[in-house]
Amino acid sequence: MSLFLIVALPFLGALLPGLMISAGRQACAGITFTVTLAAFIGLLTNLPAVLAGEVVTTGINWMPTLGLNVNLMLDGLGFFFALLILGIGLLIITYARFYLAREDNMGEFFTYLLLFQGAMVGIVLSDNILLLLIFWELTSLSSFLLIGYWKHLPEGRQGARMALTVTGMGGLALIGGMLILGNIVGSFDLSVILQSKDIIQESPLYLPALILILIGCFTKSAQFPFHFWLPHAMAAPTPVSAYLHSATMVKAGIFLMARLWPVLSGTPEWFVIVTTAGLVTMVLGAVIALFKHDLKALLAFSTVSHLGLITMLLGTGTAFGAMAAVFHILNHATFKAALFMSAGIIDHETHTRDIRRLGGLRHLMPITFVIASVAALSMAGIPLLNGFLSKEMMLEEANHTVLFNTPWLVPGLAVLGSLFSAAYCFRLIGHTFMGPKRDDYPAKPHDPPAGLWLPPALLVVLVVVIGCAPFVAEPFVKLVTASVLGDAAEVPKAYFKIWHGLVPALYMSIVAVVGGLIALALFNPLLRMWDAAPRPEAKTIFEALIAAAVALARSLIHTLHNGAFSRYAAIAAVTITAVSYHAWTTGTVGPATRVMQPAGPVEIAGWAMLVAATCGLAFMHRNRLLSLILIGIVGLMVSVGFVFFSAPDLAMTQITVEVVTIILLLLALNFLPNTTPIESTVLHRTRDVVVAIAGGAATFAMSYHFLLRDAVTSPISEFHLANSYKGGGGTNVVNVILVDFRGFDTFGEIIVLGIAALLIYALTETLLGGPVRARLLNRVPDQPRSGASHPMMMVVMTRVIMPVVLLVGFYIFLRGHNEPGGGFIAGLVVSIAFVMQYMASGFSWTSARLRYPYHGVIGAGVLIAGLTGIGSWFVGKPFLTSDFTYVRIPPFQEFELATAALFDLGVFLAVVGAVMLSLESFSRLARRAHVKDSEHPMDIDPSRDPLDDMTPTKEGV
Amino acid sequence: MTHWIILPVILPAILAPFIVLAARYHIGIQRVFSIAGVLALIVVAAGLAWQASDGTITLYQLGDWAAPFGIVLVADRLSTMMVLLTSVLGLFVLLYAIGSGWDDRGRHFHALFQFQLMGIMGAFLTGDLFNLFVFFEVLLIASYGLMIHAGGNVRLRAGVQYVLFNLLGSTLFLFALGAIYAETGTLNMADLAGRVSLISEDASVGIRIASVMLLMVFAIKAAVVPLHFWLPSSYAEAPAPVAALFAIMTKVGAYAIIRIYTLVFGPDVAVTEGLHGLWLLPAALVSLAIGMVGVLAARKLDRLVAFSVIGSMGMVMVAISMFTADSIAAALYYMVHSTLAAAALFLISDMVRAGRLNLNLTAMPIISGAALTSALFFAAAIAMTGLPPLSGFIGKLLILDAALDTPLATWIWAIILCSSLISIVGFARAGSTLFWKAKSVPIPEDRLIEPAPAVLSYVAVSGLLALLVAHTVLAGPIYAYTQATSAQLFAPAPYLEKVLETPGKLSKPKEGQ
Amino acid sequence: MELLVASAIGILTAAGLYLVMRLRTFPVIMGISLLTYAVNVFLFASGRLTVGAPPILTDATSYADPLPQALVLTAIVISFGMTAVVVMIALGAYLGADDDSVNDPVDPADTKAGDAS
Repeated sequence: MSLFLIVALPFLGALLPGLMISAGRQACAGITFTVTLAAFIGLLTNLPAVLAGEVVTTGINWMPTLGLNVNLMLDGLGFFFALLILGIGLLIITYARFYLAREDNMGEFFTYLLLFQGAMVGIVLSDNILLLLIFWELTSLSSFLLIGYWKHLPEGRQGARMALTVTGMGGLALIGGMLILGNIVGSFDLSVILQSKDIIQESPLYLPALILILIGCFTKSAQFPFHFWLPHAMAAPTPVSAYLHSATMVKAGIFLMARLWPVLSGTPEWFVIVTTAGLVTMVLGAVIALFKHDLKALLAFSTVSHLGLITMLLGTGTAFGAMAAVFHILNHATFKAALFMSAGIIDHETHTRDIRRLGGLRHLMPITFVIASVAALSMAGIPLLNGFLSKEMMLEEANHTVLFNTPWLVPGLAVLGSLFSAAYCFRLIGHTFMGPKRDDYPAKPHDPPAGLWLPPALLVVLVVVIGCAPFVAEPFVKLVTASVLGDAAEVPKAYFKIWHGLVPALYMSIVAVVGGLIALALFNPLLRMWDAAPRPEAKTIFEALIAAAVALARSLIHTLHNGAFSRYAAIAAVTITAVSYHAWTTGTVGPATRVMQPAGPVEIAGWAMLVAATCGLAFMHRNRLLSLILIGIVGLMVSVGFVFFSAPDLAMTQITVEVVTIILLLLALNFLPNTTPIESTVLHRTRDVVVAIAGGAATFAMSYHFLLRDAVTSPISEFHLANSYKGGGGTNVVNVILVDFRGFDTFGEIIVLGIAALLIYALTETLLGGPVRARLLNRVPDQPRSGASHPMMMVVMTRVIMPVVLLVGFYIFLRGHNEPGGGFIAGLVVSIAFVMQYMASGFSWTSARLRYPYHGVIGAGVLIAGLTGIGSWFVGKPFLTSDFTYVRIPPFQEFELATAALFDLGVFLAVVGAVMLSLESFSRLARRAHVKDSEHPMDIDPSRDPLDDMTPTKEGV
Repeated sequence: MTHWIILPVILPAILAPFIVLAARYHIGIQRVFSIAGVLALIVVAAGLAWQASDGTITLYQLGDWAAPFGIVLVADRLSTMMVLLTSVLGLFVLLYAIGSGWDDRGRHFHALFQFQLMGIMGAFLTGDLFNLFVFFEVLLIASYGLMIHAGGNVRLRAGVQYVLFNLLGSTLFLFALGAIYAETGTLNMADLAGRVSLISEDASVGIRIASVMLLMVFAIKAAVVPLHFWLPSSYAEAPAPVAALFAIMTKVGAYAIIRIYTLVFGPDVAVTEGLHGLWLLPAALVSLAIGMVGVLAARKLDRLVAFSVIGSMGMVMVAISMFTADSIAAALYYMVHSTLAAAALFLISDMVRAGRLNLNLTAMPIISGAALTSALFFAAAIAMTGLPPLSGFIGKLLILDAALDTPLATWIWAIILCSSLISIVGFARAGSTLFWKAKSVPIPEDRLIEPAPAVLSYVAVSGLLALLVAHTVLAGPIYAYTQATSAQLFAPAPYLEKVLETPGKLSKPKEGQ
Repeated sequence: MELLVASAIGILTAAGLYLVMRLRTFPVIMGISLLTYAVNVFLFASGRLTVGAPPILTDATSYADPLPQALVLTAIVISFGMTAVVVMIALGAYLGADDDSVNDPVDPADTKAGDAS
């Protein structure tokens, strides 16, 4: 079967359990089993090729430019692991079907399990290390989901997060390592990498790559100092512990070390780091395991210890070590999975995993007893069981390993490790099954249904078979070893046999076993010592670390983002000034090319007025009405300046905008408090002053710099001046630029105005629809209202002025193209005229007489402008292409018709609509705030009969 | 004369006022028009992208005036790619807005939405700096409207800060434009490139200061620390679909930086030598760190997502600020990813509201539709934290790979890897609290049954995630395309020629050169 | 003359920045308007200063640079729209919360976190 299919099957199959669960648990487990079986058979179809020593490869390009391709390969090592994963997977699925309780969501469980299975198979079959990374992280994610499977258990959630954090960290380190490795070699394909030992080991990047990769492997395989997550992963359902956390996933790190063994091993760095880590983990795990009372915790630490053993063997860097490692991987997978399942059975039957509450089970659960004991004895290294063989090889190898120039170190520790390992195995058997029968089991124990004990039984059979007839496993182990070694070394000749003669290794294991028995005999005093001894609890440390990190992060982030706009603004101002200053100082200032123009007394007077108003505003800003007046003066002076510097259009726009803005701000001030309280401290204010002056100085310097220098070449506006009349048909170049050369800007700009109006309207609606309305309704004006807020004089005046202003607006609009003026200004002038009506006669009177909805006006304006632009499409010209002609209707003089004028009409309408809609919205707020508004044009009207004037004094806008 | 290229701007610009005029009071009709408009946009955008995919650069001279005297729109690989991304994002966001009924909680949502799209499209397409300013203002003011859509005190206050900060940004933009015009006398990007090369090195202050001011304008848009302060509260308080749409707005800043600092102030321009990389890279790294630390620190889900946006923008900016062909290609790939992921996360955070009082990251009774929502959250979180198998991982690989032979490689690697770890922890904590721990909290009897989010909402989010999957599976061709795009950016000659040599009304070629 | 204009721009900016850093929306908006004036004048000045030569085509020989004028005109109108909007939003915020300060009220939870660390 194609390798793709083998990897893909579990992933595709992961969809099925979720669907099949509705058809019952049997169907759900059945489909999962079938999927795995299919993959398993598919794997076996490749057996002949593998046995023939071939490497089955296949691949498709995914991201060739990055070197990330879906290349798969199957050699001895990959086959070995795939076999373990799928084979044990089959047993686990059978087991889990009977293990899971009714209330557990089996579909979810098997979905995660298949996802994990696929990822794991992917790891061992990847030929591309980046692809391997992807599967690697996927196993972390799926184990996260499986550990947290019982979501209501806090230890499940914590264990899941811890596992994800630690393995995730390893994964990130691995990303770094793999990228470096790939860049050293120039390819991310293992087949290439495995050929380039020398390039890698001579590269200066070898050490960083090695360290990063090893961090990845150690975290995954729970090597010291990253071993602590594995025991907490035991919060997962037992099938998961047996599958992920003893048989397969934790072996991924080992697999990767074995995979890269030919190119990474053999250097002193590799030897020291890997061997040391392995040794420490082996001893530490074994010691802790002895004193754990929870069966699964004991097994977890024993797993840690055995992984350390394998790591140590790989670390030695000899061919024999590698072979021993491979052999022990096989053996450990068999007896440890069996042990976990037995522990699960005990938990399932007695409802406890606490060894102190167990004992004497051999009578009650004979089958489980046999299975567990055989597996345990094998783990202890008792002859005729497979554990013995690989442990012998380990001790043998340890004898020839010299670390830190102290010959006794490795053998000594190896014996110590095996001693404790034997001890906890004996304790497992002794304290769980032996001893007198008790009467205080939480539940009445008895052997489980065959579905639960058959899977471990099968494994135990293997244990015994390999133990008694090692030659059965020998060719296969050597085949795998060969593919581990690659062409880095020769497969050792040594034969697997039970009796090697009286070699040191034999004495060492005798010492270990006997010592183990003694340790068990002395268990209680030892336990007291252990409990008395202070030791760091990894979990609490980890939790404390995370908590500290979160607290640190919070204090950093929340103090930084404290929601104080004034500080954000200050930071922005400082940043901008500083960066600009840096850019300034690192550049060179060219000579001035323009002469300063003389300033007369009038100009200076104007300047003085502007400055006075500005400073006054800065100093007296607390009085808000005053500051409005001052800002009005500033605006006025600016527009005067525009006039003076020959920009009439600007001046007109500025002044009209000024008027409207002030009206608007007045309306707002109608609600806001009239004064600003003093809140900021002197320190703050000094800070602000400094920042402000720095910013001001910067802009001053910049403006002064530019004002005295010419552009690098003639500005593009020369073209505008030259072609304004020819091409735009207007003599007012500014207006022609606005409606023609850069009409698109103007188009965007009226849209901005339109949106502004819509926004204001929408917000008013929301406010008036919400709680604000009530507040507005019973709001008392903070200032006494004039009796005649719609005085007759003003009414009469505005009525008279109205047509005049409209006429003026119309005139300004028409002349715009050739003289100062245009759509904007006209629009603003006209809206001011309307506003005057509002001011004079109040809101309802005016709006009652105003027939056009402002939405419509805005929409129409934008549409007219837009359609004018589109119009030019029909003559095959781009958007907004203008055309104009001169017509002459006697007796008038010849005048111009330009499409630009139509566009300007759109502008005009949009401006009127926008301004009016905004002001209207504002005054609608105001209106809600007051009593019913007058229907009369003026409050005191001599022409009105006082009798029918029952309405009290009104208040308008 | 093809008018396709201007349609992404004109279509919404006409549709929006039409909606205001015709369908002001009928939400149903508004929805229909809005959806139709976005669908049309997608078609147009796809057409433009296809047209540009072979390297063709399309020019559109508004008012038939030749550059640099008139305004031009330019469609090359980069701009069309962004336009396409925007329109596709727009569709799913709109679907969610309709499905969740957000669009009916205030006035003029659809009109503002269309205007927002118009502004973004214009910003991507225009070839003129001042016109870029105008479109920035269009998209900003539309975003103000959308951000405060449906009101609420907290939202309005956040809105005030958002608007004020952006007003400062616009002011800075105008200062930069004034400086640029004063120094070079032009506003067209291509023309600017030509004129900058005329500036002698012994009179370089003017253009240097102009270029950094412009850079900071865009940095504000792209939320680069320390100019990012406007983002967290405004994105967190904005209505979810709006926040999701905003995911593209930070990219506008990134786009502008890519455009201007490859075309005008390229790495090889002497007068602005050593300005951009100098400031940008460290700032980007800090943004990445701050963003992901913020993910860990967040107490509310929406804040968490907002900070993850800062972080992923930091990632994008890290890639951009290396200014190499590879790094820009990687940045473009990652940009698409982070837009979709952020949008999805914002929408999901809104789904989490179903049956919760607030988005505080504390255990509350399990929400309605938790099973599906949690699955979506898991996927989106995987994407955002850059874990396999989704595109975030590939993007991360690309950026790390591009950074390998830069002077600051060690720093870049360290910060990228550490910050991803931090974000993983942050998302894992948030997720397990929201969806797992919730199962241990009993549901109070008096709790009224909240309806699960609407099917349409799920469709929208799943659609975004599906796009992420496609972005991953098709990573090969997509990355090849972004490589071609960045190659086009680093060989601007055809762009310049196309823009400056095409004659327009009354203009003889070669004028104003 | 140039000195006058440049200094005016500087002073406007300084005053504007100072007001922008105030704590209530109204002065902040005032500050923004001052900054707007400053930048408009600056943008206008980017066409350099010309007295008595408005860009209305006559038979004169030299004119003031029309382009910056057009740009400023656009800028003025846009900033008008923006001002209107920000005033409205600020007003809404004030009416809603009866408080017109720009800064968020300090969240007690944050200070707690600060102490925790």
